[in-house]
Amino acid sequence: MIRLIGLNKWFGKHHVLVDINEHVKPGEVVVIIGPSGSGKTTLIRCINVLEKADKGEIFVNGVPVHNPKTNLCELRQQVGFVFQHINLFPHMTALENVTFAPAEVKLMSKKEATDVGMDLLNKVGLAEKAHSFPGQLSGGQKQRVAIARALGMRPKVVLFDEPTSALDPEMIKEVLEVMKQLAYDGMTMVVVTHEMGFAREVANRVVFIDQGRVVEVGTPEHFFTNPQTDRAKLFLSRIL
Amino acid sequence: MEDFSLPVLLNYLPLLLSGLPGTVGIAFFAILCGVFIGFFAGLARVSLNPVIKHLATIYVEVIRGVPLLVIIYLIYFGLGSFVDIPRYAAAVISLGVFSGAYVAEIFRAAVESVPSGQMEAALSVGLTRGQALRKIILPQALKRMVPPLAGQFISLTKDSSLASVIAIPELTLTTYQAITMTFRSFQFWMTTAFMYFVLGWVLQRVARYLERRFAVID
Repeated sequence: MIRLIGLNKWFGKHHVLVDINEHVKPGEVVVIIGPSGSGKTTLIRCINVLEKADKGEIFVNGVPVHNPKTNLCELRQQVGFVFQHINLFPHMTALENVTFAPAEVKLMSKKEATDVGMDLLNKVGLAEKAHSFPGQLSGGQKQRVAIARALGMRPKVVLFDEPTSALDPEMIKEVLEVMKQLAYDGMTMVVVTHEMGFAREVANRVVFIDQGRVVEVGTPEHFFTNPQTDRAKLFLSRIL
Repeated sequence: MEDFSLPVLLNYLPLLLSGLPGTVGIAFFAILCGVFIGFFAGLARVSLNPVIKHLATIYVEVIRGVPLLVIIYLIYFGLGSFVDIPRYAAAVISLGVFSGAYVAEIFRAAVESVPSGQMEAALSVGLTRGQALRKIILPQALKRMVPPLAGQFISLTKDSSLASVIAIPELTLTTYQAITMTFRSFQFWMTTAFMYFVLGWVLQRVARYLERRFAVID
């Protein structure tokens, strides 16, 4: 579904991503963890080209993302993205946030988009908030709407960039529940998070990144109980 | 100080007021002209095309560096020596070109004040940059433009007094005329100042109303 080959990225002189090679299969949930500034966020932003990779190849569902001729809009319609800072459109209701893009790019008729939108809001448990504006919702509710918005375009894969990091502790669970459900429904997901419980329970694979390099990859059981590298051991000892 | 004479003031009030439509008309059309120019110049300022962006930047910087009075002279006498340009049109164009630069900056600042996450979120669901700008960024930016635009319109209304130098029959010119005939400058300038104040005050009330209306949407 997603294939990264020799991916490199610099911010000025700072080498943020160093020779990343990864392959995410359909239906897989991959959790990326690592210390702040390790390049996790940049990595998934490269996948839907919110950041441009400087070197290497990225394929999403067979589409060569690194090719300048690739239509980025069509690519992004297949790749949902959930932001740490949520970024709902404040001048639209929850429902409009979900239905706007599918109707605007003529993926669906307005009527169809509304049906799909209500369906998705129902799925994230917010059908009764369909006509509320983001300003009237709690942080957890907003992020759930944002997940529904990302699903509105019927993407093949959803990328999550620390979706619970900007939330109050008591709102984290409701968002993680929605993400778990999504994973059990078979969605391909790449999740950058500090929620180790989520990683343990849902991930097929954990990718540990430090200083722009993939340091260790493994199943959650293996990674959390028996990390191979000193760097991963140190990281886990600090957070668990 | 000269003595105040109400009969003289009332006698010449019709003359004074005959300049009011000129002031309001010039201000109105100059605002339209300025918003039109400013909107496109502002769009150009946030364009990804470096040529378009630089042209707009040059326009804004040049206009902001030249006094309005000089622009009026340049357009009326300079341009007027090549093509026949009615003085009324010259005044509207001068004020419009002048305020367009400021409107462009207001526009640019408002667009840039919308958090970058909004553009990213719009792109992430597959919209083009143009769609994102029109449907996501602009609706939020326009709301932020109301207070600074109101200030700009009030400035422009007051700046229309400079059109008197090319003999446009507006409030400042009619005031000159009344004083020339009566030699009572203080009382007429006071009256004129009051009339400009009322015009500005009305614009402020309208702006306040618009601000409140737009605020409800959030």
